[in-house]
Amino acid sequence: MELAWYALLGLFLAGYLVLAGYDYGVGLLLARGGPPAHRRAALTAVGPFFLGNEVWLVATAGILFGAFPALEGELLSGFYPVVAAALGGTITVTVGVQLRSRPTGEPTRAAWDRVVAAGSLAAAFGWGALLAGLLQGVPLAADGHVTGVGHVATPFAALAGLAMAALMAAHGATFLTLRLPAEAAAPLTRTARRLVAAALAAVALAAVAGLLSDRVRAATQRPLPAVLLPLVLVTALLVARTALERRRPGVAFAATSAALALPVVGVGAALWPYALVSTGAPGASLSVADAAASGPTLTLLGWLVLPLLPALLGFQAMCWWVFRGRTDGRTPVYW
Amino acid sequence: MDPLLLARLQFATTTSLHFLFVVVTLGLVTLLVGLQTAWAITGNPAYERLTRFWGQLYVINYVLGIGTGLLMEFQFGLNWSGLSRYVGNVFGAPLAIETLVAFFLESTFLGMWIFGWHRLRRGVHLALLWGVALTAYASAFWIMVANAWLQHPVGYEVRDGVAHLTDFGALLTNPTLGLAFGHVVAAALLTGGMLMAAVSAWHLIRRTPDHALFRASLRIGLVTAAVSISLVQGFGFAQFGPVGQAQPTKFGGGAQRDALVAEWAARFGPGDYTPPVLADVGLGFMILIGFLLGGLWLLLPLLWRDWVIRLRFPLWLVLLALPLPFVAVILGWIAREVGRQPWVAYGLLSTERAVSPVAPGVMLASLIGFTLLLGGLAVANWVLFARHAARGAADPALGRRPGPAADDPRPVPVLG
Ligand code: HDD
Ligand code: HEM
Ligand code: HEM
Repeated sequence: MELAWYALLGLFLAGYLVLAGYDYGVGLLLARGGPPAHRRAALTAVGPFFLGNEVWLVATAGILFGAFPALEGELLSGFYPVVAAALGGTITVTVGVQLRSRPTGEPTRAAWDRVVAAGSLAAAFGWGALLAGLLQGVPLAADGHVTGVGHVATPFAALAGLAMAALMAAHGATFLTLRLPAEAAAPLTRTARRLVAAALAAVALAAVAGLLSDRVRAATQRPLPAVLLPLVLVTALLVARTALERRRPGVAFAATSAALALPVVGVGAALWPYALVSTGAPGASLSVADAAASGPTLTLLGWLVLPLLPALLGFQAMCWWVFRGRTDGRTPVYW
Repeated sequence: MDPLLLARLQFATTTSLHFLFVVVTLGLVTLLVGLQTAWAITGNPAYERLTRFWGQLYVINYVLGIGTGLLMEFQFGLNWSGLSRYVGNVFGAPLAIETLVAFFLESTFLGMWIFGWHRLRRGVHLALLWGVALTAYASAFWIMVANAWLQHPVGYEVRDGVAHLTDFGALLTNPTLGLAFGHVVAAALLTGGMLMAAVSAWHLIRRTPDHALFRASLRIGLVTAAVSISLVQGFGFAQFGPVGQAQPTKFGGGAQRDALVAEWAARFGPGDYTPPVLADVGLGFMILIGFLLGGLWLLLPLLWRDWVIRLRFPLWLVLLALPLPFVAVILGWIAREVGRQPWVAYGLLSTERAVSPVAPGVMLASLIGFTLLLGGLAVANWVLFARHAARGAADPALGRRPGPAADDPRPVPVLG
């Protein structure tokens, strides 16, 4: 029962990173500046999906609160600075993208685009650092509370944050090669390939920092997934690079999507059966089973989620289907 | 500085800000459903223009509803980890249901509605707006279930110091739920109606083009607001009974209160178990505003032969009264929330025990940072709202025919 809920939590978190990941990636690309029409075309490509992407985070937080209340409190307050950074970034992107085209003056729109880019960086960095922070364990006191927030400030967390930003930028560029009109996609393929290379380097650096960290080695419960994670990430990125070279944007996008979803699976598997591993009091580690809500609550939520999940995924799929294909002159422009 | 005070301040600022946007969201979406349905049934293009103009304003307002709501949701974990630790088994359920049943679909539908204007069949497009409205009401309902449980915990038992769910049905029949939900929804309709009437009044005073359109929305807004204020008053007065029963310390003295305070003092130790006076101040002024707005009914006879427009001063009255419902909703929440102090979950979990064990410096930085961020974004949002309201219904970006964007300096969207 707890495992099913933990998997559902992972599904929504991974879905968030994949879907909002290309929003933030496109947001990061806005930092390049460039002609106004190009920036607007990029946002039009994200267009109808944008609002439906960010709610995966809202649902993740809802499941966290409903099904894992004990984890929710410790996780969010125990990682206060990175969660606040990620959240501030998320809010900024959400608001910035929706408002940037309401003023008509181009300088104002360009200023909003820089705000969106900064927000995207904060969001990507924050969520990346949070995942890394889980892998390196937290100082849990005997009473079950995380003590202090300094524990998260390590080179590994910082590098993981940067790796997440690089991954999302590559993912965003790949998304644009798939969505923009074919003639606009060609020059972007070059950008995407360079960004994939940068992501490879960033992931490799973060992996080395992780291997060198005693805290990560101590906190890891299952070495296999922990070692596999960087390997599959690298593989996915290599696949993306090859696919971009061969002009197969769909395959490339699937590969970068996998690269964003896999860290969630990897971290969850490496720490299992724990959700939070203690670096302080031994035996204070919070297991997934202990973090879960009690039976009646999970049963109630289960009866609700079972019929609901197909509807949730179905309406999202409807959105992807209705607005599938490359953008063109008949695409509604709003953001 | 005391982390408890900082956490409470942050909650108060973000919820108040959140609520200023969501009352408008709930109110306008209801009116929009009416307008777009009328367009679908009659095919009259006037309704299409009304839907696009008010829809544009609705979508702009929606932006900060999401922005502030995101922080609200995470704030429970960031600042109030004790809440999830001790009562999360019960309180978390309605919140989880809300995010899945309501928000997830609401935003998905809204994205499709905004971008679906010339892409989807009319009926599907209309159904999407109905979906947005129904899920918005569902979200309001479930968040009120959660809040009502904090006001009056029911359907649980405490084992090992932690509350466990025993009877979910009790959460739905909570005496502090139904009337409060009615009161909040009526207040949202009142606010939406007043906003519609006031923006229209501004245009009619300035004699901008589109007289017919703004005349229509003035009438719709005024009738909605007048009907709603009566509902607000009705649900409001009806609340005194059940809420006073459930929370004897809320509305002043009485033997019941003294007995309860004595019981708490015996169980939890001596302390101040009466809420701050701020709660009564909020309640008093909200009710004052409620009576004042009852005057809206006096304007309805003036709709006959457009006297309300011809006399002009009623238009000024409507415009100047616009802040009142916004002030009243904040005062109302202050009455409800401050009035249950010092408890987070009434008689079960004190505010003190719910706050996260986070260093005051971190909490202060978060309070300042998020207040500046959200405050700045909110002001930007209101400025854009006002500009679009003033610009009139000539050609809103919402629902514009695809093609080279008229407000883009350089039209050809090709990327390089
Ligand atoms: C009576 C209505 C009401 C009340 C009391 C609240 N909300 Fe709210 N909220 C809404 C009515 C609403 C809404 C009208 O349904 C919004 C506005 C925009 C939207 O997406 O839904 C919303 C948005 C919204 C969002 C963003 C959803 C998205 O991204 O689409 C979140 C996370 C929350 N709210 C969370 C909260 C929390 C944690 C609250 C309580 C403490 C709260 N809201 C009180
Ligand atoms: C959106 C409208 C709301 C507004 C404007 C509002 C307002 C407030 C205010 C002013 C406070 C501070 C009270 C004080 O510190 O004395 C507060 C506290 C609080 N409210 Fe609300 N509230 C709203 C909705 C909700 C809802 C729907 C919930 C539950 C789901 C909720 C849960 C809480 C909690 C947990 C606290 C912190 C503990 C406390 O100080 O009592 N609020 N709210
Ligand atoms: C004659 C007029 C009114 C009366 C008698 C009245 C009564 C009340 C009462 C007794 C409460 C407190 C419930 C509690 O503490 O649990 C309340 C709360 C509230 N009021 Fe009013 N009210 C009136 C007018 C208004 C107006 C005009 C608005 C806004 C437009 C408004 C918005 C609210 C809100 C948002 C709350 C908090 C949620 C709730 O408890 O329902 N009220 N009202």
